[in-house]
Amino acid sequence: MNNLPNSTQEMSGRRYWRSLDELADTPEFKEWLHREFPKGASELVDDVSRRHFLKIMSASFALAGLGLAGAGCRRPVEKLEPFGKQPENYVFGALEYYATAMPTRIGAVPLVVRAYDNRPIKIEGNSMFPGSNGGTDRYAQASILNLYDPDRARRYLAGDKVVPSEDALKFLDGLSSQMAADDGDGVAFLAESSTSPSRARLQKIIAKKFPKSRWFTFDAINSAIHQKAASTAFGHSVKPEFNFNKAKVILSLDCDFLGGEDNAHNHIQKFATGHKAGENMSRLYVVESLFTLTGMNADHRLRIPASFVGAIAAAMLAQAQGSPVSVPAGVDASWVTECAKDLVAAGKDALVVAGQRQPMEVHLLAYAINSALGSIGATLALHAAEEIPEGDFTTASPNTLIILGGNPAYYLNKLGAAKPQQVIRLGYYEDETAAVSDWHFPAAHYLESWGDARTWDGTLVPIQPLIQPLFGGLDELEFLARIAGESQTSAYEIVRTTFGHTDEEWKKFLFNGFQRGQARTAKHAFKGDAPSLSSPSAPSATSLEVVFFRDAKMDDGFYANNGWMQELPDPVTKITWDNAVLVSHKTATTLGVKNGDLVEIALNGQTVTGPIWVQPGMADFSLGLALGYGREKAGRVGTSVGFNAYKIFNGKYIETGATIRKTGMTHVIATTQSHWSMEGRPAVREANLSEFLADISKTPPENFAEEFKDKEPPVVAPLYPNPFDEAAKTAFQQWGMAVDLGACVGCGTCVLACQSENNIPIVGKDQISRGREMHWIRIDRYYTTDPKKKNNPTLLDWNADENKSDNEQQFENWIEDVQAVTQPMFCQMCEAAPCENVCPVNATSHDEEGLNVMTYNRCIGTRYCSNNCPYKVRRFNYFDYNKRPLEDLNGPLYPTPLLHKTGGKWDMAAWWKDRQAPMRSEDEWDLIKLSKNPDVTVRMRGVMEKCTYCVQRIQQAEISQKVKAGASGNVRLVEAQGTIPKTACQQACPAGAIVFGDITDPNSTVSRWKQQPRNYAVLADLLTKPRTTYLARVRNPNPAMPDYHEPYTTEEYKAFGGSVQTPDS
Amino acid sequence: MSIFPKWTNWLPLILGAGAALSAGAVTAGVTYYFTPKYTNDGYQPVQPVPFSHKVHAGELGLDCRYCHNGVEKSWFSNLPGASTCMNCHSTVLKDDPRLAIVRESAATGKPITWVQVHHLPEYAYFNHSVHVARGISCVECHGRVDQMDEVYEAKPLSMSFCLDCHRDPASHIRPPSKVTDLGWQWSQDAERNEQMQQKFGNNAVHSWNVRTRESCSTCHR
Repeated sequence: MNNLPNSTQEMSGRRYWRSLDELADTPEFKEWLHREFPKGASELVDDVSRRHFLKIMSASFALAGLGLAGAGCRRPVEKLEPFGKQPENYVFGALEYYATAMPTRIGAVPLVVRAYDNRPIKIEGNSMFPGSNGGTDRYAQASILNLYDPDRARRYLAGDKVVPSEDALKFLDGLSSQMAADDGDGVAFLAESSTSPSRARLQKIIAKKFPKSRWFTFDAINSAIHQKAASTAFGHSVKPEFNFNKAKVILSLDCDFLGGEDNAHNHIQKFATGHKAGENMSRLYVVESLFTLTGMNADHRLRIPASFVGAIAAAMLAQAQGSPVSVPAGVDASWVTECAKDLVAAGKDALVVAGQRQPMEVHLLAYAINSALGSIGATLALHAAEEIPEGDFTTASPNTLIILGGNPAYYLNKLGAAKPQQVIRLGYYEDETAAVSDWHFPAAHYLESWGDARTWDGTLVPIQPLIQPLFGGLDELEFLARIAGESQTSAYEIVRTTFGHTDEEWKKFLFNGFQRGQARTAKHAFKGDAPSLSSPSAPSATSLEVVFFRDAKMDDGFYANNGWMQELPDPVTKITWDNAVLVSHKTATTLGVKNGDLVEIALNGQTVTGPIWVQPGMADFSLGLALGYGREKAGRVGTSVGFNAYKIFNGKYIETGATIRKTGMTHVIATTQSHWSMEGRPAVREANLSEFLADISKTPPENFAEEFKDKEPPVVAPLYPNPFDEAAKTAFQQWGMAVDLGACVGCGTCVLACQSENNIPIVGKDQISRGREMHWIRIDRYYTTDPKKKNNPTLLDWNADENKSDNEQQFENWIEDVQAVTQPMFCQMCEAAPCENVCPVNATSHDEEGLNVMTYNRCIGTRYCSNNCPYKVRRFNYFDYNKRPLEDLNGPLYPTPLLHKTGGKWDMAAWWKDRQAPMRSEDEWDLIKLSKNPDVTVRMRGVMEKCTYCVQRIQQAEISQKVKAGASGNVRLVEAQGTIPKTACQQACPAGAIVFGDITDPNSTVSRWKQQPRNYAVLADLLTKPRTTYLARVRNPNPAMPDYHEPYTTEEYKAFGGSVQTPDS
Repeated sequence: MSIFPKWTNWLPLILGAGAALSAGAVTAGVTYYFTPKYTNDGYQPVQPVPFSHKVHAGELGLDCRYCHNGVEKSWFSNLPGASTCMNCHSTVLKDDPRLAIVRESAATGKPITWVQVHHLPEYAYFNHSVHVARGISCVECHGRVDQMDEVYEAKPLSMSFCLDCHRDPASHIRPPSKVTDLGWQWSQDAERNEQMQQKFGNNAVHSWNVRTRESCSTCHR
């Protein structure tokens, strides 16, 4: 351990930095690195000294001791209440699974939901669904928390008055008969996009019954552009399906198909399939202004303002058609021509996609290029789709406005041109729109309602409830049916009628969770000409470009009150509990702003104020604003988190002409970006495809990832044998995991799946800013840069930079063009775990099957284990986060209950009087409890926790195999028999980047992955023998491109590891 | 001037008193915590219905699984719903006042509030189904319930109690068909019974691949 490089050389060899602060090596960051825990993380910050605290604590222990003989220490009397009437086939404690789907704006996510004691616990993707690997997206994983949100709409409201549901439903019946009388004159419906055939059927009934009523769809995040553009381009109502798995060369025109686009999980799965290291690996070109997930995974990325993307598309089309090419000023023409050549060479195996943000012209250009390449029908499939109704509700002025879902009052900061006389709304929250509604109906969650939907390829999927509406919410279908005056108002009956067919087929439909053979593929030829574009003016410091984008967590703002989503680090920026004004270095230096400065953005006479965040890889003079924050009435979690970018949003996602003004104030942004740095070690290893192919063609195949090992400090043999080696012999299986860094796109779905499965609490912004986040999975994101872009092109001459001050280096041009890599980091399950031998109470130890297990009831919270963990994957419960009231999450530091007053009374005194009184209000706590997985302990304050490889799932699998075995010896779990459990992260991963299994079985997937010639262990030189290993990442750049470069990571590591010396030499 | 201040004269006495106090605290702690009283050995709460296991399971010979039907499928061995009781008691003792609560529960669906006798801490995950399927009899943890009028906790159910069996499964394992036969023995003769148990147990441990686990993750997760 003492042969680590000294700090100077370590700085000189740094290849990856994880934040600008780290690159800049500011004193704050140095302190971060060198303190074991960030400042404040390990100390109390109340104005009471540690000594004083201990005094009070010992006094209370003494008091507790006096109560020893009292009832306080006796076991509580537990009651059991069996059914009066035993339901048939119901076994308490046995898990149940139901197929359903989560409806989205332009599709649906097919799901299988696990229920325990009839309450939904965990959402998983339906792996039986054709073409699905069972992966989901972030929204689907987090949506289960919305079900148990204590702030969701629970009441039927007439104005401010709570009315009984019967009265509210009677009102709907009255409305229906009134509409029948005047043909629905002056009534307008405002709904979010939906793919539900049942809703479409009811919509038709309404249009027929009330011919004068009007129907509008409105989405703040409008993904309908894909369908609208395809319908225009092909002359039929069709929607496109992008088959990234079939494409060899992909060009994304500002299309964040791995991140912000709808159906991203499906895209990720397809992209990961096609972008697999090997002969047929696909290549991804990205042209964009924001640094998105797609850009992070690109092989070549062109950083230009979003308004220039159309010009690039036109140039690509010209090159593909052999016409003269012109590119906007400042863009390397050879980048465009070489990329276009590569597309043409791929022909029908190429795919060009335009982003949801981009205007219609760019989409049509993309279809024109696809048509010229011949990829339509090959990599670009078309499916028949219902037509999207046209019309702008903001210009309609109805007397009665009926709103289904959505939150238009928030998106538009007002409701239409003039507020209608009567607003009736079915909504999930009592939010901004509820405040302007005359009648408000609580909507049911999709896990509480019947429904149907069509996925991206038109396959019909059912939405079936797993639980009765918790607060008597209404299904959207029932709401509509009542307004339509239908005799059939039960949502189940409506869906059943729409489905038709026999009861047998219906049962099968519900069992499978989809109807086979329903994909509605259409074949059409591209019609018409590519549109001509007006040449955009380049954005500048006085006329900035603004790009509004769908946030990775908030969607359009619906998930604002979802604590999991608020706390999930943004996949790119790693910001939690906030959005920010994303700018490039050049923009920041020109405008004289830095991270955290609050600036006022003025666009078209409207203004909004938000904090600056300097984001490497952003286009110059382009501002990135995430929508969905700054909610005024979101609930106790989401209200006033971030700023509301809708205030300057007018329906166009890209606008130029904004100016910014410094307000002189600053804002604290909580990120997880620079916590627990790997300090320059080769944590992520990469190579270009050519090198990888050369390596594997050798006999025996060479492992380029292992080459880094030579440059690591020499491995010394352990002093004494590892006791685990003996224990391992008594077990049937040994668990292990492998993570393919080439497949992982860094989307963050695994983080949420883990949080849901393992009862991980939400800690709040204040705790995050102290480095106390609790996620068991940390997705490390490292930036890399091309050394040729540095002022001094000599690769190994790093001293040139060393001489520069922090500020100068921070604003060097070369860090604008970055590549990023992601690495999910969780407990590595070291066979020789450093955490175990420092635990004074044996709370963390090894089991026979190779798991590094954590026994919460033994843990006394010394945190020695976390101190000694080289991967920094252990998490400590500094407070009883589960008992923390919701409103404290976005607030100031959570005070110790000992020293905190509520309503003028000491909490401690209140506790002494009534020890059963909860810190959270009772209804809130009851709901939160429902969402917990009963197979996992809910941890309390003072306990260390970490990834367990989902030990509860392993145990369940082993137990059910043993029950099956009975009096026989067939107890081994075998992958071929499907008995090996999946961890929550593995199950949720749309890219299939994580495999888990038995490493003693040579045929298991995990064993085969570990034998691949790009397998390596992180920090292997510490002899921790991790059970989790990584497959090195392979990039596939085009040698003809101007920004092609050799795998310089290897060179850099050589420079780093090769100069390992003792500090004296 | 002395190096030691004057109060150090009292140090031996303070140390002595401190040692005595500590020893006393340890003794008191052990006397209190390491006893069957603390582990609730023999805990016998009063139940709302005077149900006798001795009559039902012992004298009438009902199988445990007639009422506790989830025991083979779930971690939890369920209590029967009142409707299960009424399968017989709609004809047997149908107007008995002792069964008034049961009849009411079956009619209205309002649950009977039983008091839990065998209670493990929430952080210990015990699974009934796997023990029953692999030949661990109910009697191992619950004692001779078929001889109890009112159920009490016959075994300590402490962690060391669990480990006793996990470290020596051969002495406890029996044919799965005999799991609910609480009084079942290989032989009336104690010595011979012991011999046959060891022979069967060792054989079963080998041929059923029984590898009882002692690591923390077995029960704590």
